Amino acid sequence: MDLAYEQIRNEVKQASIRARGESIPRRRSKSPTKPSAAWTAPSRIGSTKGTALSIVLSSIGCAHARGDEGGCTMCSYLLDGVNRNPTAEEFFLQFQTAMSQLEKLDSPLSVKIYTSGSFLDSDEIPQETRNRILRAISVDDRIKEVVLESRPEYVTDTVLADVRRILGDRVVELGIGLESSSDFVRSICINKNFNLDSFRESLLVGKKHNIGTRAYVLLKPPFMTERSALLDAQKTVTDAVSLGVTTISLNPVNVQRNTLVESLWEKGKYRPPWLWSVVEVLRHASFTGASTVNIVCDPVAAGKSRGTHNCGKCDSSFIDAIRTFSLNQDVRVFDSLKCDCWDLWKHVLEHEDASLQVHN
Amino acid sequence: MSLTEFRIGRGHDGPARIGEYIMGTEVYNTPILTAPILSDSQVITYGTIGRVKIHSSNPHFLALPFETHIDNPEKLGIRKTDSILLPCLPSFSSLGYTAGALMLNHQMGVLDDLQSSIESNRIIIRIPEEIELNVFSSSLSDFHSRGVRAAALTFDGLLSDLDYNSFLQRRYLPMSWLVLALGRIAPGTVPLLYYMGFDVIDIGHAQEAAAKHQRLWHNGTESIQSGQPHRYCPCSSCQNLDRLESTQVVDALLDHNVNVYASILSEAQNAMVSGRLRWLVESTTHYSPAHASILRRIDREAYSFIEEFTPTTGASNVPLIGPESYNAPAVRRFREYIAHRYRPPAHKKIALLLPCSARKPYSDSKSHRRFLETIETSLGNATSQIAQIILTSPLGLVPRELERMFPAASYDIPVTGDWDSEETNLAADALVSHMSKFDSNTVIVAHVSGGYLSIVQAAENRISQSIIYTSMETSPTSWESREDLQETLGDLKDILAIKGSKPQELEEIVRATADFQFGPGAGDALVPEDARLGGKPYRQILCRVGKEQVCSYVADTGLLSLTLDGARRLAPLNRYWVHLDAPSVKGGSIFAVGVREADATIRPGDEVIVLNNKGEVTAVGRSEMSGREMCELDRGRAVSVRHKLEGD
Repeated sequence: MDLAYEQIRNEVKQASIRARGESIPRRRSKSPTKPSAAWTAPSRIGSTKGTALSIVLSSIGCAHARGDEGGCTMCSYLLDGVNRNPTAEEFFLQFQTAMSQLEKLDSPLSVKIYTSGSFLDSDEIPQETRNRILRAISVDDRIKEVVLESRPEYVTDTVLADVRRILGDRVVELGIGLESSSDFVRSICINKNFNLDSFRESLLVGKKHNIGTRAYVLLKPPFMTERSALLDAQKTVTDAVSLGVTTISLNPVNVQRNTLVESLWEKGKYRPPWLWSVVEVLRHASFTGASTVNIVCDPVAAGKSRGTHNCGKCDSSFIDAIRTFSLNQDVRVFDSLKCDCWDLWKHVLEHEDASLQVHN
Repeated sequence: MSLTEFRIGRGHDGPARIGEYIMGTEVYNTPILTAPILSDSQVITYGTIGRVKIHSSNPHFLALPFETHIDNPEKLGIRKTDSILLPCLPSFSSLGYTAGALMLNHQMGVLDDLQSSIESNRIIIRIPEEIELNVFSSSLSDFHSRGVRAAALTFDGLLSDLDYNSFLQRRYLPMSWLVLALGRIAPGTVPLLYYMGFDVIDIGHAQEAAAKHQRLWHNGTESIQSGQPHRYCPCSSCQNLDRLESTQVVDALLDHNVNVYASILSEAQNAMVSGRLRWLVESTTHYSPAHASILRRIDREAYSFIEEFTPTTGASNVPLIGPESYNAPAVRRFREYIAHRYRPPAHKKIALLLPCSARKPYSDSKSHRRFLETIETSLGNATSQIAQIILTSPLGLVPRELERMFPAASYDIPVTGDWDSEETNLAADALVSHMSKFDSNTVIVAHVSGGYLSIVQAAENRISQSIIYTSMETSPTSWESREDLQETLGDLKDILAIKGSKPQELEEIVRATADFQFGPGAGDALVPEDARLGGKPYRQILCRVGKEQVCSYVADTGLLSLTLDGARRLAPLNRYWVHLDAPSVKGGSIFAVGVREADATIRPGDEVIVLNNKGEVTAVGRSEMSGREMCELDRGRAVSVRHKLEGD
């Protein structure tokens, strides 16, 4: 990256650090034996419908966000974590607490393990703990699919060999926040600090162990117009499909506490993406990755001012359609979506893009 | 060879100007609107390179997205006639000064990359919202030296800090540049934008409002709901509004909204030509408190920028209606010139304070004719020993000698006799400063009542001379007051032993006008002791020294016209000079391109002294632009020549 971009990136990093402020040392103290969150939802598992359990383990949080790099411009998930890293025993208790939600459910089940950081980072989740959790999953025959979230730098041959060995022949996916296939967008607008090559490497290591990759694609990081963001997400989907990802999970930005995005949003300098744009990206994804890649989207804070939203009148029908699509992969569900605010969205795409005046 | 050029035409009212923006074979008259819609001659279309289909052969403003590389412009659909907006990251410069500097820096880099394929006069830079002044100025001159001649500033339509900041930033752009206002701009802000020197105005908001089913008006919006009654509109787009399908409604509203912008811009341009743009801008302050406060903030902070381009002559009728007029540049400048340039004639024994009159010049009014009769009756041939000072709002005060000067001869205020405290204070301060220039033995006769009386009373403690009130109880025009005035003046004549002397009126008018026009010392230089004057104050006064005429006073404008001889007398004062590169003047005009340097105090409409390349007076004339523009512009008429040295 040339010097000018490096300076711009540094400015974003400094602004991210400022936005984070003292929020991390001042996180509310939480029980180290309870997960940050755990919920079940109907989900597409392979080609059938089942239930997915999402577990967010409470850890000290993402190393990138904890460190002096400022973390990602839109993310403060680590604020849900704890200030002292839980012990092996405590982590396992968190996991068990979450797993109890699966007690009476039938196969097929899917378990997704998030940490607001990287499950495969041994500094965050010690190796023994990780393997103990995986072993607990491996003895449950109902669980057909496992998703493990990590930044690419922790995806190594040894770790994946462990994972594959323990989980046997289950479907396993690595959830990696690719966010954008553009290194410019990922490093400058998001401050994510890894490049496309490391994503590609992780994906290849995964393939070697028959582990798929679930690419999280971010819609509308800061410092982009609605249209640039839309085009970038579409291109990212195309690139991710051709790299060979197994699932694309589209994440429209939501405004999280103590982030650079929040400080821009408060000044009227940022608006979360329109639901129209979300649908547009999903249509494109379906067209591009049809039948080879699973496409899902579970927008956070959708319909609210901090999340992806339209005019307010049509938001719930859009959110329903997006949920339905994520389950059945059928884009026709979007055909019935209509609202007067379409004209306004079209105007924003055009006008904001040329004038660079933020439309919020 | 480059096809793109911005040519500025004649005329000013504040920084507003007219011009031509040439894009290939198309010539667009500025001010002009720009929008992301199909263009007609009223609008220049804009869009983003690679993201819009270009349907029309007309030139466009094309925005370059961040991180787009241009190797082959034609492949991207860029025609030779299009102008290119350089890329910025949206919102990025709001992070602070460093971020702003980085955005200018980035554009500089893009400019370097483009230089081989796109001429820099087709480039439009985007001004970041936060930028430190020194960095801003130095990068502007970098861009200028590379041939960039256009810049865009962003507005969010809230008329709060972002918009205010963009208005202030406009001051620093070279005057020769085309200046664009992009973003959300309501119709009611168009006059102010034009006034502040924006040449291209984005009306994308017409589309935004239409999409929200809003009809725009000059002073607000109206929500259009089907089945609900709406305002009458004569425009053709609105004729069938009730019978249209929802999708057609949006199109009809868009047409209407665009029409509103076009009509307001045309109104503003017309007002500029007739010298009433300031008035139009002031009238927008009633659209919303935000409109009022932004003009007040701009007047306070950007006064010197606006004043610099405000002509020293103007319309024959200047309405000054409310507080927003108190600091209008022509008004504040008048007060400041009176305070800093006017010097009363020596040895005035009496200073008579009079109220203003609705009719201008004052001496043409019935009330002032009566005052003058009363003075004449009581003082006879000693009338020249009295200084007449007319109190008024918002000019503060007008010495009788300058009553035909712009805008004293043409301002028009609502006369109710009520003064607010701001205008009372303005006038009281002016009076204090004015009286400090008189001998302390001068006696002040205050022939005023009501609000005028309050001015004198507010100033009284700060005035060293003694004051006699002759109209405290009754109207100054009443018979009783005038009796009182006549008696007082008669008594003073005896007490102060005022002797008759020959009338000095002509000398005083020419001297005061010279000082007002050219600054202190000019009166003495043009009207020395041995000057001979002839003529009528209400028509023309000629001033001769020896055999040479040095200047003439023209009552219609209240201004002096210089002869070459007069110019030579003023030249040592080192003011109002225009220095040429050439040995002499050819033709009736001097163009900015031929000006080496010009006095920065020159305003449009000023009488100026033209010096040749050896520094000798070679012509006199009337400035058509300000001194700054004479230096910065590469073309356009700088001076209309009145007299020049023949020969050479």
